[in-house]
Amino acid sequence: MNKEIITYPTPLSVEFGVDVRVFDEKLFALIDDLKDSMNENNLEALSAFQIGSYFNVIVIKKEDGSFLELINPRLISHSGREIEEEKTAYYGDISANVSRFEEISIVYQDRNATNASLKVKGSLARLIQRKLDYTFGATFLQKLSADERARFESKLQYGADVGVADYCPTTFFRDKILKVINISMIVMLVSLVSSFFVSDAELLGEMWSYQLYASFGVLALNVIYFFYAQYEGKQYTSCSSCQLGNIVGTFFISLIKLTLLMLSSYYFIHP
Amino acid sequence: MARLIVLGGGVAGHTTATFAAKWLGSQHEVVVVTPNAKWNWIPSNIWVGVGQMTKEEVTFDLASVYAKAGITYKQAKAVSLNPEGNESSDKPFVTIEYTSKSKSGESENIEYDYIVNATGPKLNFDATPGLGNGQGAMGTNTVSVCTADHAVHASHKLQESIEKMKAGERQKFLIGTGHGMCTCQGAAFEYIFNIEHELKKAGVRDMADIKWISNESFLGDFGMGGLHMKVGGYVVSSKLFAESLFAERNVDWLIGAHTSKVEEGKVEYELLDGSKGEEEFDFAMLIPPFAGVGLKAYAKDGEDITATVFAPNGFMKVDANYAAGAYENWKASDWPRTYQNPTYKNMFAAGIAFAPPHIISKPMSSPNGTPINPTPPRTGMPSGIIGKAVAHSVCDLMTKGENAHLHEASMAEMGAACVASAGKGLTTGTAAAMTVYPVVPDFEKYPGTGRDTDYTFGEIGLAGHWIKHILHHLFLYKAKLNPGWTLIPE
Repeated sequence: MNKEIITYPTPLSVEFGVDVRVFDEKLFALIDDLKDSMNENNLEALSAFQIGSYFNVIVIKKEDGSFLELINPRLISHSGREIEEEKTAYYGDISANVSRFEEISIVYQDRNATNASLKVKGSLARLIQRKLDYTFGATFLQKLSADERARFESKLQYGADVGVADYCPTTFFRDKILKVINISMIVMLVSLVSSFFVSDAELLGEMWSYQLYASFGVLALNVIYFFYAQYEGKQYTSCSSCQLGNIVGTFFISLIKLTLLMLSSYYFIHP
Repeated sequence: MARLIVLGGGVAGHTTATFAAKWLGSQHEVVVVTPNAKWNWIPSNIWVGVGQMTKEEVTFDLASVYAKAGITYKQAKAVSLNPEGNESSDKPFVTIEYTSKSKSGESENIEYDYIVNATGPKLNFDATPGLGNGQGAMGTNTVSVCTADHAVHASHKLQESIEKMKAGERQKFLIGTGHGMCTCQGAAFEYIFNIEHELKKAGVRDMADIKWISNESFLGDFGMGGLHMKVGGYVVSSKLFAESLFAERNVDWLIGAHTSKVEEGKVEYELLDGSKGEEEFDFAMLIPPFAGVGLKAYAKDGEDITATVFAPNGFMKVDANYAAGAYENWKASDWPRTYQNPTYKNMFAAGIAFAPPHIISKPMSSPNGTPINPTPPRTGMPSGIIGKAVAHSVCDLMTKGENAHLHEASMAEMGAACVASAGKGLTTGTAAAMTVYPVVPDFEKYPGTGRDTDYTFGEIGLAGHWIKHILHHLFLYKAKLNPGWTLIPE
């Protein structure tokens, strides 16, 4: 029976990677469904996970038109690596450059539960690796390098396999400025809490001076963050305008935290 | 006054003995028989093995702790059990052989009312030619982190390799399992990433080739058939989790491998597809397979009844279903609940010493018939939980009579936590922290994966290092029976 093939953006199931333990009519029906779905959708291979089954089953159409049934397949050894452009049914026409092993050795069971093995290379090795990703609940997305993943997610956002001039990174230098701001405020908070256990007026005076100077520093860092973050965002055309909102929001939240901290410090520490 | 003898002073034995001594008070006697003078927090051996901790930091002397707890401590190894006594007495007894310097080689028969076998495993190095020295101990070709002494030795060897790399000599590191039937992949997994971290710190990472060799059929099996972890809101297979760690750190791997022979600088292996190969190395840490410690058992008339009390692998038979048959018939209910020996009701086994009904991972073998699959892990948290449940049962039997209710702790109803560090720093490095529930998948209760994904999750991050540090100090504190030790969970 032809089954619907799960495609993006339908989320993948959280049930996957289940080894077939009983080789019965239910398994054979699943394999038949995979074959029917492949024929109907003109696919060269299909993992059971792609039609909503959690069993570790892959069916591959060979060049002569016959089917290779891989039950509970495992990739046990490999050699070489190459990066090639791939597409997969889950993401339709959107492609990504995926690094795969050139040559692999797999072990699996056939429909009679007999153990078998296969050494393959080239496009078939790549195809099997892609289907193995599915049996463990993943797509090639999890195999992409950080840069390629960012590019691919950018393509997903556009909904097409178009050339993307650049992409919006997931980490920025501005985050480091924010980290320094947050650490500084944590130190100020510790100083504030410590003051509860201090009764010496001179020491309290020194602590207040520290809070005051630290607050000037944090304020200056916030201003630097506000302007630099916008400058950095503009370096990437793919970064959406909603980033500006995030930057402004982060800036004001940080100022509110600083204000509360200084008000408390003034109340509790200021001699 | 009745007497409880606990064989073994590891996580399971120490937990059983200390809780039993606390609950029984001075009304009954608790005796611990263990060949070791020191208790060892084994998870931290990984850090000893890379020179980040000393042996003294992961061990302490047992004698003073047992004296404080009112436990009779005998530094000796158990040799045989006579659960029916002998011709001159009906009282069951265990024969021990002292290992302490003052009484080394002396034997003694100690009578018991109840006995808990928590001997842990025999590190069966000799199961793989060249991995052992032919006399039951580790050979000279590889290193190990299974004991604190082994870890110290591994650390020295690692330093030698680092010095060679600094002098411009490239080094190949091979870490993993030394046999097709090993367990404890998690320890080797942690060690390989600690080595990688240390090499980076030493500035010689570019001079090292690091390779993983394991009997798992997929990366991230860990002897538990893998797991589905919630990571950042997504459910991720431990396979992908592990693969990403290997890829990020440029560590190569070979799995489905039975290490069939070890020589100086070279291992021979057989893969699940039947192919055979060789791998060279300059430094290798290969975990040995585990077996029972080789205790014998004799009936009243002296007949050898070892096969009645122990499974063929030397582990003690308990209330498990050892006739589960083929993989498709395996159930969570096959796993023991009370750890009571079915023949002799005053005998229990805890921790690694009990015979599991079958493995947890999918059984696999090569076309040549060589079994290549991880055996079930039952170290750490499960050992502690089982040890405490057994202590509960034995104490109730001793104080309430032989019809007392037995406490249960099935590995199919228990979770476990694991932290695999990749370094020791408080501000640098990352660790993989995982929890799994239940340890043994229950396919009837949780159709599909066999596990509850709400309680099976993992994270990678620096916080894992902090957790590992906390666990190190917490469990050493607990094992030393310092104030409040009973409040710290297993």
